[in-house]
Amino acid sequence: MKTILQAENLAKVYRVGSVDVHALRGVSLGVEEGEFLAIMGPSGCGKSTLLHLMGGLLTPTSGRISLDGEDMTAASDARRTDIRRRKIGFVFQRFNLFPTLTADGNLRLAERIHTGGRGAGSKDGEERRREVLSLLKLEDKLHHKPLEMSGGEQQRVALARAVVNQPAIILADEPTGNLDTENSAIVLNMFQEMNYRFNQTIVMITHNPEAAAMCRRIVQMRDGQIVAPSTGVQL
Amino acid sequence: MDNLIVNNIRQRPLRALISVAGVALGVALVMLFTGLSRGMSNDLQRRSANLRAEIIFTRQGGMELTSSTANLSTKYAEELGKVDGVESVLPVIRYPFQSGRGFGFEMIEGVDWEGYAAMNGVALVDGRAPAAADEIVIDETKAQNNGKGVGGTLEIFGGKPYRIVGVYAPESGARVKMSLAALQDALESPGKCTYILVKCKDGFTPEAVAGAIEAAPATQGNKIQLTRDVVTNIEKSIPYLGVFLRALVGLSAIVSGLVVMLAMYTTITERTREIGVLKALGASRGYIVGIIEQEALVISLLGLVVGFAVSLAAGFLIHRAYGLLFDYGWRWALVAAAIGVGGGLLGALYPAMRAASLDAVTALSYE
Ligand SMILES: Nc1ncnc2c1ncn2[C@@H]1O[C@H](COP(=O)(O)OP(=O)(O)OP(=O)(O)O)[C@@H](O)[C@H]1O
Ligand SMILES: [Mg+2]
Repeated sequence: MKTILQAENLAKVYRVGSVDVHALRGVSLGVEEGEFLAIMGPSGCGKSTLLHLMGGLLTPTSGRISLDGEDMTAASDARRTDIRRRKIGFVFQRFNLFPTLTADGNLRLAERIHTGGRGAGSKDGEERRREVLSLLKLEDKLHHKPLEMSGGEQQRVALARAVVNQPAIILADEPTGNLDTENSAIVLNMFQEMNYRFNQTIVMITHNPEAAAMCRRIVQMRDGQIVAPSTGVQL
Repeated sequence: MDNLIVNNIRQRPLRALISVAGVALGVALVMLFTGLSRGMSNDLQRRSANLRAEIIFTRQGGMELTSSTANLSTKYAEELGKVDGVESVLPVIRYPFQSGRGFGFEMIEGVDWEGYAAMNGVALVDGRAPAAADEIVIDETKAQNNGKGVGGTLEIFGGKPYRIVGVYAPESGARVKMSLAALQDALESPGKCTYILVKCKDGFTPEAVAGAIEAAPATQGNKIQLTRDVVTNIEKSIPYLGVFLRALVGLSAIVSGLVVMLAMYTTITERTREIGVLKALGASRGYIVGIIEQEALVISLLGLVVGFAVSLAAGFLIHRAYGLLFDYGWRWALVAAAIGVGGGLLGALYPAMRAASLDAVTALSYE
């Protein structure tokens, strides 16, 4: 199996005034292609920091991180942005759809950014978009704006936006954190579906043990370190 | 075009409207002021060009652009008539009066009508020459602008109505004329005038005749000007007009720029999280600057259209109400367009750069 993401001895120190906050203290982690990985741990243990490092939104204080063969450790901001454009799909707790655009508009915008303006609305893209939308059962929501949709629907659109460009990896930060149980279940099923159908690699932060239980592997963190690098379903 | 931009503008119609109005204001300022200055200067020039007398004889300080005094004795006319090369002479009183509708001054001239008409090639198209103390003639343009003709009246001095007894064409000098004697009477300046027009005989250059006048002992101590110099002097007589117009253009650019800058600045503050999302999606700095500049471009272009429309409408209405003339030139229209669009794009540049250099994680957690 191919390793999509490789993190070695990652450390991240935030400086707040004259105080150093050690958010990560040496995290090593490999994510294989097609994996559906959960990251769990108490609040403030560094989960989001790790995810942001994986997505190139931050650079580590020390350690190395590479994605799909590209070294992100020393990459410039522009280079990391470009890697995100080509290889990463984000899903956030707060959905973060563009409120002025319809569901379809949100997907097209992501596509346009992904292709750098070229081939937007291409036949390939159109087909892929339709497939994703039907898998996520969003066909009848295409022309709705975020405020006209439920939280669950918005998160499904956000997931669609993340997968539509066939990223090497999806990084999700508490994607069900703002959803009720019923909608959480629906959205989690969709993540699982993406993982099965497209062999989509997914890393998901969650506080929800049931959500974690759907993943093939769970990583437990505490105080900026991985405490239980486990395989197989736990809990 | 990115529909994100159109939707952003639709989302905040009031703010978009204010930005559009800001750009439009800059454009309209440039258009109206340059249009007015061109219009008035062209008008003066056209009317002065219809003066056929080559030389204007005045006393020092006797004639300014907007004021004049009757300080020159008409007796000089006789002396001037004797100078070699002079075909005819004509004393004129020129006097500013508050035009009826309250904005700016107009000029009235007191002349011997037959002499003036013969010298300058104008003729009555309607009515007859002014004779009595309360009779005036006006030119066709004034008749048209004021909607008045023979039988109408104009208030000139102290709210007293003057009867229009004739309309003449083409326009030449002041648009309102009365008899020399009547105006001398009204100003209590018997035997005086503001200047004397001198027409040269065929075969004599204006310079030669001017020289001869200067040499004549009886005319010493007065000012001799060539009509064509006075005409160009009208433009120069407002010496800082050019500077003023350039300052105005600069100010307009600043107004447009600032309004758009402020609008875009509040836009990016309001949309900080969206900019974070764009970054998470992999949008480059160039892309983010691009969409903000495109939004500014749309606003600036709308501002241009509104600004031009306002200029045309305002020019027309001001002309109707106050008789001021507007003459819009292509060159200034291009300058105004460049000001509106350039100001808008430049104003948006700073907020756009700021947005592009926002930290993605911070932007994403922005409330
Ligand atoms: N920008 C920052 N500046 C300073 N300290 C930060 C910053 N971001 C995070 N931290 C600190 O780093 C530590 C890890 O934060 P992080 O957000 O990664 O935790 P988390 O595991 O995602 O928590 P939660 O479950 O509450 O989302 C915390 O102590 C946090 O206060
Ligand atoms: Mg977090």
